Amino acid sequence: MMQTSTGAPVAKQFRSVKAMERTSSILSYIVIIALSLIWLYPIVWILLNSFRTEYNDQNQLVGIVVSHYFPKQIGFENFRRLFLQTEFPKWFLNTLFVSSISFIISTLLTLCVAYVMSKLRFSFRKKFLNLAIILGLFPGFMSMIAIYYILKALGLTQTLFALILVYSAGAGLGFYVAKGFFDIIPNSLIESARLDGATNARIFRSIILPISKPIIIYTALLAFTGPWMDFIFARVILGETNTHLHTVAVGLYYMRYGERVDSNNFTVFAAGCVCVAIPIVTLFLAMQKYYIEGVTAGSVKG
Amino acid sequence: MKKLLLSLVLLIGFVSVLSGCGDGNALVIWVGSESVDFYQEKMDDYVANYNLAHEEKFPYKVKVKGVDTGTAAATFLDDTDAGADIFTVAHDNLGKLITGASAIAPVTDPLLLAQIEADNPDAFLDVIKGQVGGVTYTFGVPYIAQSLVLYYNKDYITQTQVQTWEGILEAAVAANKQALSLAGADGFNNSFLLLAMNADTKATSLRLYANGVQEDCYATGDDLIAIFKWGQRFFTHPNGGKAPTDSGWEIELKNEVSLSVISGSWDFSAAQAALGTKLAVASLPTFTLTAEDAYGTATEGTVMQSGSFTDTKMFVMKKNSAKADYLQGILLYLSSKEIQEESFEQCANLPAYKNAVEEFEAFGAVDTLAGQLALAQVEMFSNGIPQPFGFASRYNTYYYSKGTPDMIMDVLRNKDGAFGTHAAIKAQFEIIEVIWKTGIRPTA
Amino acid sequence: MQENNNAQMKRGVPRFLLSLAKPFVNLGLGIAKRTKAFIGRFQDGGIGTKVSHLIMGFGNFYHKQIIKGLLYFLIQVGFLLLMILSPEVNGTPLGFKSIPNLITLGTEPGDIFTPTDNSMLMLLFGVVIFGIISIFLFAYFSNIKSAYKVDLDIRSGKRPSSFKEDLQDLLDGRFHIAMLTPAIIGIITFTVLPTLFMILIAFTNFDSAHPAGQVLFEWVGFKNFGDIFGGVGEISARFWSVLSWTLIWAFFATSTCYIGGIMLALLINKKTIKGKKLWRTIFVLTIALPQFISLLAVRNLLSEYGPLNSFLVNVGLLEQPIQFLANANDPWTARVTIIIINIWIGVPYTMLMTSGILMNVPQDLYEAAQIDGANKRQSFFHITVPYILFVTAPYLITSFIGNITSFNVIYLLTGGAPTVSGYTAGSTDLLVTWLYKLTIDQSEYNIGSVVAIMTFIITATATLLTYRRTKTYKEEDAFQ
Repeated sequence: MMQTSTGAPVAKQFRSVKAMERTSSILSYIVIIALSLIWLYPIVWILLNSFRTEYNDQNQLVGIVVSHYFPKQIGFENFRRLFLQTEFPKWFLNTLFVSSISFIISTLLTLCVAYVMSKLRFSFRKKFLNLAIILGLFPGFMSMIAIYYILKALGLTQTLFALILVYSAGAGLGFYVAKGFFDIIPNSLIESARLDGATNARIFRSIILPISKPIIIYTALLAFTGPWMDFIFARVILGETNTHLHTVAVGLYYMRYGERVDSNNFTVFAAGCVCVAIPIVTLFLAMQKYYIEGVTAGSVKG
Repeated sequence: MKKLLLSLVLLIGFVSVLSGCGDGNALVIWVGSESVDFYQEKMDDYVANYNLAHEEKFPYKVKVKGVDTGTAAATFLDDTDAGADIFTVAHDNLGKLITGASAIAPVTDPLLLAQIEADNPDAFLDVIKGQVGGVTYTFGVPYIAQSLVLYYNKDYITQTQVQTWEGILEAAVAANKQALSLAGADGFNNSFLLLAMNADTKATSLRLYANGVQEDCYATGDDLIAIFKWGQRFFTHPNGGKAPTDSGWEIELKNEVSLSVISGSWDFSAAQAALGTKLAVASLPTFTLTAEDAYGTATEGTVMQSGSFTDTKMFVMKKNSAKADYLQGILLYLSSKEIQEESFEQCANLPAYKNAVEEFEAFGAVDTLAGQLALAQVEMFSNGIPQPFGFASRYNTYYYSKGTPDMIMDVLRNKDGAFGTHAAIKAQFEIIEVIWKTGIRPTA
Repeated sequence: MQENNNAQMKRGVPRFLLSLAKPFVNLGLGIAKRTKAFIGRFQDGGIGTKVSHLIMGFGNFYHKQIIKGLLYFLIQVGFLLLMILSPEVNGTPLGFKSIPNLITLGTEPGDIFTPTDNSMLMLLFGVVIFGIISIFLFAYFSNIKSAYKVDLDIRSGKRPSSFKEDLQDLLDGRFHIAMLTPAIIGIITFTVLPTLFMILIAFTNFDSAHPAGQVLFEWVGFKNFGDIFGGVGEISARFWSVLSWTLIWAFFATSTCYIGGIMLALLINKKTIKGKKLWRTIFVLTIALPQFISLLAVRNLLSEYGPLNSFLVNVGLLEQPIQFLANANDPWTARVTIIIINIWIGVPYTMLMTSGILMNVPQDLYEAAQIDGANKRQSFFHITVPYILFVTAPYLITSFIGNITSFNVIYLLTGGAPTVSGYTAGSTDLLVTWLYKLTIDQSEYNIGSVVAIMTFIITATATLLTYRRTKTYKEEDAFQ
């Protein structure tokens, strides 16, 4: 049948398949562009607000305008106020300090625990695994008050070290994703090294760590960005009144949610948000590849 | 060996729990954030004068920090050690602070006690005292007074109209806007109806913890039911009052969705930013009960005056402070009439001092908005009561946090059409009364 | 296979109950075994071992393991000093006095000039001191074992190990000890002890009427739990409705993000779509942005006079603005809105994960299908979709549990509003946000603790029922 027919129907069929593919691809583009717009709509709104400088008839800066999406006047006044009239620069340095130290400690802790749990066998291993699961199921901030008083007994409540301690101490329980990663490293690699007389410490340092770059970066990324996003723990531990100790999340939180907030701070708040978001988002996007690997590894292992 | 090291490290971790914390050697004072600089300056003067007058120098560095009053009380109660030696709270927090064995110290210096008695209106004198262990002490040193006022858009509401809610509603209908925004749904912001009283006789049947007795609450009098019937009509009118929205009153005022808001001096600058030159300030208006509202003894035509909680911000001292010997001298100075007058001029803090209207020169400046605000506040003082919660912490919680504010808003909104009759309103207030008295919502 | 599964299910329930009893049985057996070993060591050990029962480290000294012996001895001295001296920390003794204090929770009610006993610190230090005692006992037994081991070594003609050798062993044979110790210290101090403390709070009357340091509070047994089932007050009135909303929320939040994420991943990974990286980056933004920023933006956008409402009114789609998040008359408006906004937050996560999986679908599956004559559509529905579902099934469970305790979305978007007149817990409050309000805002610590324990019971049940059945758990050891 094919032989007798001319090429025309085939070509037609081919064209129609192609046409179908084209419409389907156009449709896909329409959907994905629409979705992207929805996704960007609130994010762009914050960005626009940080530059929004609209004044009222008394030449006072009107901080919150929600009736129109695009600002009528733009400028850098909000950023000027953010840096000169609030303690934002200090908050930024505080956060940088806390996250730089705590991400190193917590990454180390997480990797150590994950490796030991994945590759070594010892008496209390199973118990530790179960305990970690059980503890992970308690709502975290339920114990916040107790943590506060333990830190106070240690004489640390009015310091940034307290935050570093709390963020790092929690790392020992968050080893599941990294353990999932180590689980797929073949045991033969380790056994052959052991036959060569390498100690466990040496195997970890010279064989495991070099091939674990993705999971190290994933763990470090989460540990580093955590302090920039946490506004609950930090708030309780640092105390509302110690504004010079606040992290950016706590400082910005109070700018917006504190008692009797001046709503005219909203654009200044937005400027602060942009200053926080830029480094974090850049970091995330730069490390996206590793982040995706971590997410995939962690969730699929369950 | 492994266990040895493990346990050793664990033990070291714990023993380090023992290392106590070294507090900074500064004497810390918390005041409202708007007047930090002012009070720091005054304290520097104080220390300088002290050093001139005394042989030995003032032994501490004095640090003044800005902390909102509500935050101050909460922070202090969470961890007294982390609190300041002297801090500012609104007087209705007193009950919480002196619960049980008290977290704050009483005033004992006879000079300071005499100054407090001499300078403050009687209403304040009652609420700064409290009982601990059966003995009544004075705990607070008043230095700022506050009440609710009306911020309004003078492009739409005339000076005559603003004197009555009916006038404001008329302006709102003419402009097809809403007459009033509420700053919040809490019991403070809707107190203008709850505390309303007969404009001529200044009488109201409402009783809130009268004489410090928990059982002595009464909110089901005829006048109150009639007032809430009126309030319900006002809040369900298409151009009437607006329940608080998630946009916030600033935006409603700025976008001219509504024409006025009830709030205090703490929102003055926000109101200014929202309305610019259109802003005007007045004391809270009166309203007249109609035939529809009349209930029992509250008859048609009765003129009611909106009420307000009148608060004093007061200094209190940490209990067992290491610097206790120096605190009362500082308070004697900071709450003096002179400092209050300066604070009014420089930071627009309305003084607690009872003869301020007659004696303070700055009070005459009616042409400025700040002057209008001060006068409106003073006027509201005669139409208000101090929050009666100083007697025990529970009263405050029962009044604010046990959901009664929402139940009052339900009446005003006539939620689900369930409160359309006097009887339904009365039934709701019976429940509210029980909550005020017991802190527990009765189960139906 | 199917039958086998059913049989497993049937056996599952009694086995689940048995597994609850197992720890206690094991504990009893363990104690018996250890006691026997303890007595055996004492009888069999040399003089060093025998004295080590009284003076820690003596056995090591005796055999010239000076540093090790000294360390044990210091532990004992430190521990005894702490217990006997009971130094005051923040005005409350920490030492043997903490034990009676844990029982009484303070006896001095205080007055205007005398400080009140701080019941909360007494409870906390009681827990801490039991932690310290356990660690001491651990060191004590390890001291005896260490002394006994040297005895045995000498008996069998071996030289006792030197301190240097012990340290080296930490890098190899005892490597897990070296690696885990810091983590365990952190976990005990900042997770285990605080959690125990908060569990105990549920059995007291520590609430807003009993502020610590001002009024003493006391043990009340199971009263607070009883209040859930027909007591008075907030917990009895609101618990069941908050719980059911929590479960509804968790179900919809999980399923919408799961399905949406897979669909988005399939869309982005379509061969015809160019610029995959750009699209993915746009969606990843919601993960990278701190939620207190992005959710607040959403909240403002959706507010009654916000840009979205203004736009809809101006265009003429709406006559009156919609109160998306605060409609007091209809809690379902806010609830549905929250679930939709949660898609915005949660979908990118599933999308990333599914994208990773899509790239890993074994190609031979497709090839085999092609040979069998399957077209694209068929191979999509018969290979791609089942593969994704199969691989991501465990994720559904963790995601469901995560959503039960999801705090930010509710707290930042509505704060629990619309309110339910008369109570703290609003219509959109989850157990966790309710718990937060109860403890941090209202100081009702005991009720908050009960809510936390109930949350734990729910998540733990979900985990136990599912986790033990997952491949990971079963193949944990078989895998390697």
